[in-house]
Amino acid sequence: MPVLTATSRRELEIHRFPVLVYALVPLAALVLQAWLPRILGRYAWFDLPLLVVIYFALGRPSPIQGTVMGCVLGIFEDALTQHPIGINGVVKTLIGFFSSSLGVRVDVDNHTVRVLLVLSFSLLSGGLYFFVYRVLLGLSMDWRWLDVLLPALGNGLIALAIFPLLDRFRIHD
Amino acid sequence: MEPFIVRYRNLLVLLALLAAQIVGLAVQVHRAGNGRMSLDPRDSGGVRLIRLWADALVSPPEIFMHATGGGIASLWHSYVDLRNVRRQNQDLQKTIDRLRLEQAALLEDARQGQRLQALLHFQEKYIYTTLAAQVIGSSGTTQSRVFYIDKGAADGLQHDMAVIAEGGIVGKVRDVFPHTAQILVINDQSSGAGVILETTRIRGILRGNAEGQPQIVGIIADNRIKPGERVLTAGGDQIFPRGLPVGVVDKVVRDPERDGFINVIVKPYAPLDRLDEVLVITSMEPRFPADQQQDMAESEAIKGAEVQQEEAQKKASTIMAERLPGLTEPNLPPEQQPLNDSTPPPPIAHTLQPLHPDRFTPGYTPNTTPDAQSGQSAASPAQPQQRNP
Repeated sequence: MPVLTATSRRELEIHRFPVLVYALVPLAALVLQAWLPRILGRYAWFDLPLLVVIYFALGRPSPIQGTVMGCVLGIFEDALTQHPIGINGVVKTLIGFFSSSLGVRVDVDNHTVRVLLVLSFSLLSGGLYFFVYRVLLGLSMDWRWLDVLLPALGNGLIALAIFPLLDRFRIHD
Repeated sequence: MEPFIVRYRNLLVLLALLAAQIVGLAVQVHRAGNGRMSLDPRDSGGVRLIRLWADALVSPPEIFMHATGGGIASLWHSYVDLRNVRRQNQDLQKTIDRLRLEQAALLEDARQGQRLQALLHFQEKYIYTTLAAQVIGSSGTTQSRVFYIDKGAADGLQHDMAVIAEGGIVGKVRDVFPHTAQILVINDQSSGAGVILETTRIRGILRGNAEGQPQIVGIIADNRIKPGERVLTAGGDQIFPRGLPVGVVDKVVRDPERDGFINVIVKPYAPLDRLDEVLVITSMEPRFPADQQQDMAESEAIKGAEVQQEEAQKKASTIMAERLPGLTEPNLPPEQQPLNDSTPPPPIAHTLQPLHPDRFTPGYTPNTTPDAQSGQSAASPAQPQQRNP
């Protein structure tokens, strides 16, 4: 796996995007995440807001941006469910922080690395969700490992298509 | 040397955000009576405000996409529908005729049931008005099985209104926004609906499992429950009216948490994963709605007369049969009953004349006068003499 030091990576590239992309892409992810399951039914195995958090967090050296974006998107995701607001918020806050922290150490332009990172963070996200819901809040919930594994695989495949598309909006210094 | 805050600002921001959210989560859950943690059924002011913002952000694009996709789809459906409309119309007319006949026949039973309920001080609620709504979006996660419809408080929707589809029940209104509403589906793990098995009359609570299947929980193991049995709403939850179809029993599994108990997996009638249109029951009344009453009156007028005439004929036949018991022979088949037997009766044999007729002989008339008696005796020497006391 190609590994770069934090210093060299900061010097090499910092992904910047137009403000409109920062506003519209998360919104589109939220809308599509809510709308597509109506068409795909039980086969909606993906988490688009998670992909957006991972993508933007990996491209920035400061963990604060990824952390805040994860927090905001997670809270909005929670607001669309009947669950307490903050479960996805906590999960995606942590994912944003970890992604940003890792993004300065690895080559995030490599497709294999991206897919592996998305798979790992998706599995971590599922586990964190279960931990917050069952352990932290003490609420009862039946759990299936397939509900974590299938969205992780789906996220990996979608990342292969979406991340290069989002790269086109990148501002090159 | 860098100040502490600057040096650890990333970690401090993370901890601050996590702490704020965990405190917010702690506010939203509370300990229930059974010692378990549970959610508040109603959101507090701050939580509701965040849900309102999210809905205001996501719903307009969803409605736009739904309308765009719906317009294209409706063009194609209109073309397909037109090709079969005549045959469908004839089929529907036949169905209406049959249903009118059935309705008229069942009406009297329904009225009798209402009278009995009134005697027992039990008031059944009937669906009075419904509101059709389009499904525009979902929660986007399998852990939360809710969806959004394009009708809200402006259309008269309120909390806990029942939602049904063409096949059966779907869920209930959980949250209402100005122009949209959130529906909690019966296959969510936090849902609950009172149901009853049609044949065995076993009651239970319906809620979803991890696979997204509705299941009846907390039932004592009973081998009478078989796949295929219909499941109906029990009416005790104050949300769903009694007798609405829910689905059929799919399979029976052991309750993993309690010995001696089973979970009944239900296959729902309504396609819960692919709903396009739903009906929200906006009001229930203790009497039939006006249009339904008018429909029943029409059914009575059209088909009720036929039913009554047929019933009257049956009743008259029964009374006649009861009053003429000799005309029916219980040991004979119906086609050989005297009333139905078309074969000519056997000829009556001539009675033989008695050699010595007496007073017991048919046609004998006693004569009380002595002359007549002597004359009678003379005319009939074999006639025994009358005794004089």
